[in-house]
Amino acid sequence: MKSKHFKMAMVMMIFAAFMIISLFQAKPASAGHSYVFAWIPKALNNPVFALGRDGAFKKASEITARGPDSVDVIYTGSVASDAAEQVRVIEDVIAKGVDGIGVSCNDPTALIDVINKAVNAGIPVMTWDSDSPDSKRFTYLGVDNYSGGKAAADLLIRHMGKRGKVALLTGVPGALNLEERIRGFKDGIKNYPGIKIVQIAACYDDINKGVQVVEEVMQAHPDLDGWFFVGLWPMFAGRGSMPLWERASLSGRLKNVAFDTLPVELEWMKAGLICGLVGQKYWGWGYDTIQMLYDYVAHGKRFPNWVNSGMDIVTIKNVDAMIKAWNTHDFTKPLPSPF
Amino acid sequence: MKDTTNEKIGILRKVVRLFKENQVITILLVLIGISLYLGIHTKTFFTAYNVFNVLRAFSWIAISAFGQTMVIIGGGIDLSPGSVMALSGIITGMLLVRGVSVVISVFAGLAMGTFIGYLNGTMISRSNLPPFIATLGMMSIARGFCYGLTNGWPIRKFPAGFLYLGQADIHILLWKVPLPVIFMIVLAFISYIFLNNTKYGYHIYAVGGNEYSASLASINITKIKILIYTLSGFFTAIGGILMTSRLGVAAPTAALGYELDVIAAVAIGGISLRGGEGNIWGALIGAAIMQVIRNGLVLLGFPAYWQPAAIGAVIIIAVMIDQFKKVRSQ
Repeated sequence: MKSKHFKMAMVMMIFAAFMIISLFQAKPASAGHSYVFAWIPKALNNPVFALGRDGAFKKASEITARGPDSVDVIYTGSVASDAAEQVRVIEDVIAKGVDGIGVSCNDPTALIDVINKAVNAGIPVMTWDSDSPDSKRFTYLGVDNYSGGKAAADLLIRHMGKRGKVALLTGVPGALNLEERIRGFKDGIKNYPGIKIVQIAACYDDINKGVQVVEEVMQAHPDLDGWFFVGLWPMFAGRGSMPLWERASLSGRLKNVAFDTLPVELEWMKAGLICGLVGQKYWGWGYDTIQMLYDYVAHGKRFPNWVNSGMDIVTIKNVDAMIKAWNTHDFTKPLPSPF
Repeated sequence: MKDTTNEKIGILRKVVRLFKENQVITILLVLIGISLYLGIHTKTFFTAYNVFNVLRAFSWIAISAFGQTMVIIGGGIDLSPGSVMALSGIITGMLLVRGVSVVISVFAGLAMGTFIGYLNGTMISRSNLPPFIATLGMMSIARGFCYGLTNGWPIRKFPAGFLYLGQADIHILLWKVPLPVIFMIVLAFISYIFLNNTKYGYHIYAVGGNEYSASLASINITKIKILIYTLSGFFTAIGGILMTSRLGVAAPTAALGYELDVIAAVAIGGISLRGGEGNIWGALIGAAIMQVIRNGLVLLGFPAYWQPAAIGAVIIIAVMIDQFKKVRSQ
């Protein structure tokens, strides 16, 4: 009796699952020149990609509104950063048939095969944010993390001066983009022997561990003069979660520079806790990628091997413009000078 | 004269027996050993600030590990704690930012964790799913809800009344003790009494020790299994909400992989993964050892790139010392 009910429940559940899936099916395509591009981030669980997605949809609706062509964007990817899963997603997209793919690669080597498979099937592929240089992708739109790290060093020196003890917080040790930023930062302070890196801490992309480790470093080095947050992890936490760090920063002795320009960090900057931010143009990841795919497919435009997406430098001088851009979701205007 | 020698021998025997019978003692000595080393080699380890900082940092892992201890003693395993921590924090956070009162929001977060635990227990006991599979699936489902409900964005800006739970310090004697630490200690005592002094606790050991003989002794195995997974979900939700309050943010990626920390705390604490043996204090000390190592490596300025290797090595050595003692005492 019990097992019969259980089976019934299972059948009902499977039925319900199919109903839900069918609700999410794509809309029917309109006639004429309509293009469908797949925009694939490294992971669906990272909020910065959500901003890129909004940029992609914005560009698609702009092109469609202008006519005569219409552009649709498929936003898909692996839930977490996972190269194998991402390969499977791209294979699905190839099977579905699209007019172009823009992808941020979880691994440069692991994606070569599937990118080439798409290109051989007549689907042009470009990479953004994270490249696969040995594949047949037609271009890479990305930031130069090395110069980003150098820019962060420059920001810190401007605020902290030419000497002091500095600590770095990184995410997962070995992540190429983070290591490039650290390398750039180290080269940026190379000519200032008075600046010493006393500790490089890692938080494994975890907010909780980041908060914990920042406070521990503050205990080990109470006389710290500067922090370079190679990513923004502990910044996601609220005020009051890092009392030692907050006290030292508010006293004016400790200067902080961080990567990324998310609203949370802008708040910290407005509160006087962070003096410089170096950010990628997340919105452009989607907005510019869709434009480039469209130009490539519809107008036969060709691009160099690497297109520099540039980066935003934010200080207290131009933070309001950045906040406004976030509030209006319009990142098309250039920022005023940060200095 | 003779009497006092006999007495001394008697005390000695008692101490030896305590060592032999109480599996927690060795692991506690390991913890004390590591702490002493750090106390000597750093200036900051034994400051009250750092000690409470460390205690607070592992409080949510330990609280979740109390539930996990009951599950593992009962012969199961729960892989969902990381996701349940995140989800209960998100449910609480979503209600808070919509202006719902702190009490109701926290209650809803706890209810969510407890409900997931109940589902785990029901799946395992009623449909005979292996615990590994059922809770692995649940880990993914709960994490999916975290992403789905938030669209990937962290939830921030909680009222001060909620932040109090994780950030407040309570004055006890000379110290300022963080509230999560007090929760952890109180819950440890409650769990200890529950496991070792109640009929249910005895039944959990019996089911984990030998399910068949437990059923012959007319213990309701289904009920016990549902109970332990429900408790695991409940404890984990407490941990998740405390962590959310401490950080002031409910992130969908929070506590990713923490189930391994929780299970490791239990295993380091000498609780047999085969079920039927161990106690709550082991889990508490196991969680403490892991956080003390992490904290110590940062205070010592040990290179971040080598830290995972050092943590792994210390965990293996700690458990080896424990095993060595067990073999000798048999």
